[in-house]
Amino acid sequence: MTTPHPAPEALEGFVLGRLSPVEMRDVARHLVAGCPRCQDVTAGLWEPADVFEDPQTLALADEEADIRDGYDEVLDRVFERIVATEARVADQRSLGRRLYDELMRCPAERRQLLLSNSLRFRNRMLCERLIEESYESFFEDPRRAAEVARLAVLLADRLEAGNCDGEEELAGLRVRAWAHLGNALRIHADLGGAEQAFAMTESLLSGSRVPLIEKARVLSFLGSGHLAQRRFAEALQSFDRSATIYKKLGQWNLLGRTLLQKSLVCGEVGDDEGEMRFLRRALDLIDPQADPRVFLAARHNLIHALYERGRVREAFALLYHTRPLYLKAGDRMNLLKLRWLEGLVALGMQRTDQAEAAFREIREAFVELDLGYDAALASLDLASVYILQGRSADVSRVAEETLAIFQAHNTHCEALAALLVFSSAARFERAGIDLVREVSSFLKRARNNPDLRFSSPS
Amino acid sequence: MSALDQPQVESFLDGFLKKVRPRLKTLFAHYRIPPQDTEDLLQQALLALIYHREGIRDPEAWLLGTLRNKCLLYWREQRRRLYDSVDATVLEFMADPLEPAQESADLRRDLANALERLPERCRSLLALRYRQGYDPSEVAERLGYSPASISKITTRCLAVLTRHLVTSGSYKKKVGT
Repeated sequence: MTTPHPAPEALEGFVLGRLSPVEMRDVARHLVAGCPRCQDVTAGLWEPADVFEDPQTLALADEEADIRDGYDEVLDRVFERIVATEARVADQRSLGRRLYDELMRCPAERRQLLLSNSLRFRNRMLCERLIEESYESFFEDPRRAAEVARLAVLLADRLEAGNCDGEEELAGLRVRAWAHLGNALRIHADLGGAEQAFAMTESLLSGSRVPLIEKARVLSFLGSGHLAQRRFAEALQSFDRSATIYKKLGQWNLLGRTLLQKSLVCGEVGDDEGEMRFLRRALDLIDPQADPRVFLAARHNLIHALYERGRVREAFALLYHTRPLYLKAGDRMNLLKLRWLEGLVALGMQRTDQAEAAFREIREAFVELDLGYDAALASLDLASVYILQGRSADVSRVAEETLAIFQAHNTHCEALAALLVFSSAARFERAGIDLVREVSSFLKRARNNPDLRFSSPS
Repeated sequence: MSALDQPQVESFLDGFLKKVRPRLKTLFAHYRIPPQDTEDLLQQALLALIYHREGIRDPEAWLLGTLRNKCLLYWREQRRRLYDSVDATVLEFMADPLEPAQESADLRRDLANALERLPERCRSLLALRYRQGYDPSEVAERLGYSPASISKITTRCLAVLTRHLVTSGSYKKKVGT
């Protein structure tokens, strides 16, 4: 050993990568020679980092109390600042609400101008409020959800780090605004727009550091986007990453949400057992008091899955117990989902009059809401009722109406072709229940898969 | 939020901070974060908690989980800086024409000994880098790695080398006892 031993502080500085290049060089030179005495010191600084991956045990020995006390001063300082900041954030939050109200009172075209040009509207809490409002509208009015999410994106792209207490928070806000836009467009069946928004979300997510909780939320949205595009492996990967983060953060209710989303992937790939398993686990984790809407969604999916597997009696019983939750949620989309499910279960139990009333109601509501694809699917369910009742003229009429509704709202050629086949068979009184099921199933699959081809049954 | 909610929020924060304080100290001590570096990590996490509070069901679990992650990222960043420093230092040693002959020979011998103890893959990669002066794209070509992955593989090998430099004496001693 030819070089002198570095001081313990220098060794610590070396492990932390904090020395000047010359000092780094001197310590490295010494360590390259393999000095056991100094390596003993550096190993003690290094080793804790090697066990970081297992953060389960955080207990420290009593003799390490001194180490803990070394943090008191810092904690005091930060706590003091945070308590002061909390009051400021509360003020900003109420300002954000006032700006939101002001913004929404303006005509739509003026809103964009204000967000683009007025410094007064460059407010993080306004952006948060827009995102919240977009999320709230998903269930009631998907078109509005998309419009509001567009405003959130417009604003988020104009905010600066200074508006958001740092780069990380700004990046988180931006990526969340884009993810909400993608999700709103997906729900509003604008798959092209959703794909673009999700591509932007992914690019922002990979290009910047965002808070962990934001990352998990955004990954959930991305998973839903992948699911809508039928990219099942990627959807599962996104949901798994999101679930891992929620577990790390101890956010069990959010983990429940993610499992609910995973169940959707299982349903799509025909893994019935997995679908039921994830739905039941999700229902165990989601708190119905704190998260009634998501709990209801999980219950709804479970009832639907039971119906699809022919377990109509179980579906009926669960629907009976779940009805109060739909009524409590009270928003239009949930009430329509309830009515649709009631129609399906009634149809499964051969109660055709009840089924007909339900399907007619929801079809009209979907037309009114500009949701032509759902209206077409409800029409096919209605046609099933008429076929079972032997009402050929009504089948033919519904087929024509369905075609007209679909043509007015959609450009999906293959889905249109499927409906044409059904319409033509109905006209010649040759539309049976199997054909309706086939066309309905094709429409559900083709909804998110424009490349799917319809092969006309023989 | 109504005006009446305001004092409630403040009292939540006061009570919450009091409650989590001992756990925060234990966590930072466990991860050996130097106190001066704790300030930024904690402030960022608490700020995020204030902003996202409405969407967070269990704030304590959330805060501890977030800080664990920040501690990991902190060390990852420190380590990355250390690997870069070790790499730059070794490259500089090897290129330094002013080093007296004996010292230079000693250094080469010590480095060769250090490399000798590394896994084969890292030994070949670092030998090409340090002894023959190949740049990453040439190393990738020689060893059959894709240009896209060579940076990641080099970092892994630098991590192994650094770990060896920093801990090998200690391990030898442990094995010996």
